[in-house]
Amino acid sequence: MQRRVVITGLGVVAPNGIGKEAFWQACVSGRSGIGRVTRFDASPLNTQIAGEVADFDPQTLGITLEEALNLDRGTQFALAAANLALQDAAFSTELNQGERDRFGVYLGSAMSIVDEGEKVWIRFTNRGTQPPKVAENDTFSATPLLSSLASANVIAAHHQLHGPCTIISTGCSAGADAIGEAFWAIQEDRADRMLAGGADSAISYGGLNVFSVMRALSTRNDEPERASRPYDGRRDGFVMAEGAGVLLLEERAMALARGAHIYAEVIAFSSNSNAYHMTALPDDGAPLQQLLWQILSEACITSEQLDYINSHGSSTPSNEPAETAAYKAVFGERAYHIPISATKSMIGHTQGAASAIETIVTALALEHQVIPPTINQEQPDSLCDLDYVPNVARRAPVNVALTHSSGFGGVNSALILAKPDWGDMDEW
Amino acid sequence: MNGNTQRRVVITGMGVVAANGIGKDAFWQATRNGVSGIKPISRFSTGDLPITVAGEVSDFVVNDYIERKLAQHTDRVTHFAFAAVQEALQDAHIVLAEENPHRVGAVIANTVGGVEYVLEQVRALHVRGPRYMSAYTAIAWLQVANVGQMSIRYGIQGYCKTPVNDTVGGLDALGMAYQAIRRGAADVILAGGCEALLQPCVLLVMAQSGQCATGDDPRAYRPFDRRASGLLLAEGAGICIVEEYGHALRRGATIYGEIVGYGQSNDAHGSLIPSSNGAQYARAIRSALQEGDLSPQDIGYFSLDGRALPTSDQGEAKALHLAFSNGLGQVALSVPRTMLGHSYAAAGALDTITALLALQHRLIPPTINCEELDPRYGLNIVRKEAQPFSGSGMLIGGRSMGGANVVLALRSI
Repeated sequence: MQRRVVITGLGVVAPNGIGKEAFWQACVSGRSGIGRVTRFDASPLNTQIAGEVADFDPQTLGITLEEALNLDRGTQFALAAANLALQDAAFSTELNQGERDRFGVYLGSAMSIVDEGEKVWIRFTNRGTQPPKVAENDTFSATPLLSSLASANVIAAHHQLHGPCTIISTGCSAGADAIGEAFWAIQEDRADRMLAGGADSAISYGGLNVFSVMRALSTRNDEPERASRPYDGRRDGFVMAEGAGVLLLEERAMALARGAHIYAEVIAFSSNSNAYHMTALPDDGAPLQQLLWQILSEACITSEQLDYINSHGSSTPSNEPAETAAYKAVFGERAYHIPISATKSMIGHTQGAASAIETIVTALALEHQVIPPTINQEQPDSLCDLDYVPNVARRAPVNVALTHSSGFGGVNSALILAKPDWGDMDEW
Repeated sequence: MNGNTQRRVVITGMGVVAANGIGKDAFWQATRNGVSGIKPISRFSTGDLPITVAGEVSDFVVNDYIERKLAQHTDRVTHFAFAAVQEALQDAHIVLAEENPHRVGAVIANTVGGVEYVLEQVRALHVRGPRYMSAYTAIAWLQVANVGQMSIRYGIQGYCKTPVNDTVGGLDALGMAYQAIRRGAADVILAGGCEALLQPCVLLVMAQSGQCATGDDPRAYRPFDRRASGLLLAEGAGICIVEEYGHALRRGATIYGEIVGYGQSNDAHGSLIPSSNGAQYARAIRSALQEGDLSPQDIGYFSLDGRALPTSDQGEAKALHLAFSNGLGQVALSVPRTMLGHSYAAAGALDTITALLALQHRLIPPTINCEELDPRYGLNIVRKEAQPFSGSGMLIGGRSMGGANVVLALRSI
């Protein structure tokens, strides 16, 4: 019999809240985490807004002093989110060696090296005024830069987990890919438990400007909280954000045996590639159509059974019409009756963390039977005419939910989650 | 609901860009004869840099593979990927246009992305101003650029992933491709790794990290040698065409070998250099053997990690003794990568290609520079010259900074 996989712990570090409760409260109240950039002087850039994580206190989130000194910011987010997820999973006893051998970490990250990489370049070249060198009295340590490429290993070391461990870097789909691969690993009996999710912190001068020069970012600098507006007629680009989302995935029988609280069951994971453009979907969203067909078939469900979609909804002019077209092509008339929300409207785009944080939102929607809104819906766009749960959260029965993402580099990924008892109620 | 779990996974094509040869044949000629590709770095001035020799790829002409405009908008690392993919597809005699695009994927590992391209643009940003940064920067630089570009060029619309795992990313890529095909998520996957990290800032970082031998000795990469002081860096790419067995048979493909196991574990020891404790690495070896239904006696060749730092060499030796005990003497051990330098994400793929060529030619290439093998490891390593290969099973091992251990099990079909 196929092993089943459930979600038993949630850890989130987001611009609009750290920790499951604060984050969920912000999401259902439609609170934005976007503001003016404070980490550096962004005034020379076209875009001066971002979703920064405020009040991040490593010590209160279980990060040691040594880790706080040696790890880059993104890896600290990842570790904090992993700590929160494990805390949330509430193991009553210490894991034994055998359990640690079967416990791994898969993380997604798109831009992890950016922040430290730019700092190191500035340091070595004295901001471009000399050939790269380490100055004589410079106490440079390579550790923060190298740790930015090893966040999964850092979590494994902190919690003494000896199972499979890697990072997947598929742009905005990275977090969902890590969760999906972890789901497969447990399903195929390569592990019993996995911490899986994504993290990124790339709000630096260079990190922001690479997207600014592509004209991919919103320039609504005067109204930061209203800048991320997926589906709305006045959207003008995405808003960079930082954060992490980590979930504890667990083999279902083991979770039940230890009396764990189960948020949701992971039903299916599917992914594909655009073969079209590095940063965009074609207008008809054809690759997304294909992905939706693929995952419905993988999950053995029909669109009638889909109660909620947490969409990619990045707030770029081209993404949302393509998404909407794909929903209509696949779901037909039913597309108009599935509530869809884009939580990037509140969080901004956390890059490699985004699809992991959205998976957490989806799990919480199943848990609370509440659908968070897409905020900043003011001016309709004729190409986006579905139910995007505008501005206000909604109570609704949610048994089965889909979350999907379209990544930079062309990778699209989707996950279907269901209420913990759904598989038993429904023979499938 | 996930397809037939009995699906078998084989390798039917290989493409190589390495310091001692571009293309499978040139690469094998050099490798079997112990010809090193390590030399003084020539693409930029190494002036006062602590590292001045590396496995730099010479005589690489990007326009042999892609048009000029595309070359300008992509980094050297993606150029290597384009070349290795093209070689591998030709070697496999597969025409992707004739395949169902949704069943074709790409899993290409990479570590530092298009670092040369992006740091030039970071310079433009800081020295000249924001609008002087190229709009292609993000596309050229992110690790995902490689699979993204391959997907566009070859119309690949299936399973695409980019593992980032320090020195074991390439093995992870092959392992993930193997798993995806086995569970039915794809039929054909371009899998391997690429890396172009020979850039002054990267050299400074790596020298500080204590993982690399510094100085100008092209023979300084000496795993298991008494004088071991770290590895030498390299650039390159290795791509395998990984294919479902029945699919390969139906199109009459040449099969180099079968992937039968992918073992993963983590030391979780917290320090950056692979640990001296081999227990977890041994577990990864056992898990790869078990998945492949192989016993230690079936293994004719083990391609070692050979990090060339006393602690990690010690950990690897311990793992080998734990996993093979008395049978270790029967396994040929080598680190042919000593001829190439360590190309990080490309390395595991190049090691796998070397092993498959060794199987084909029944010859195990030597570990060079290890003149003073440290007897405390108790290892009998193939040195000086190639040695005949008997047996049908092979293991490819790798360990990362931070503690990941990955072992791939292969066997002849």
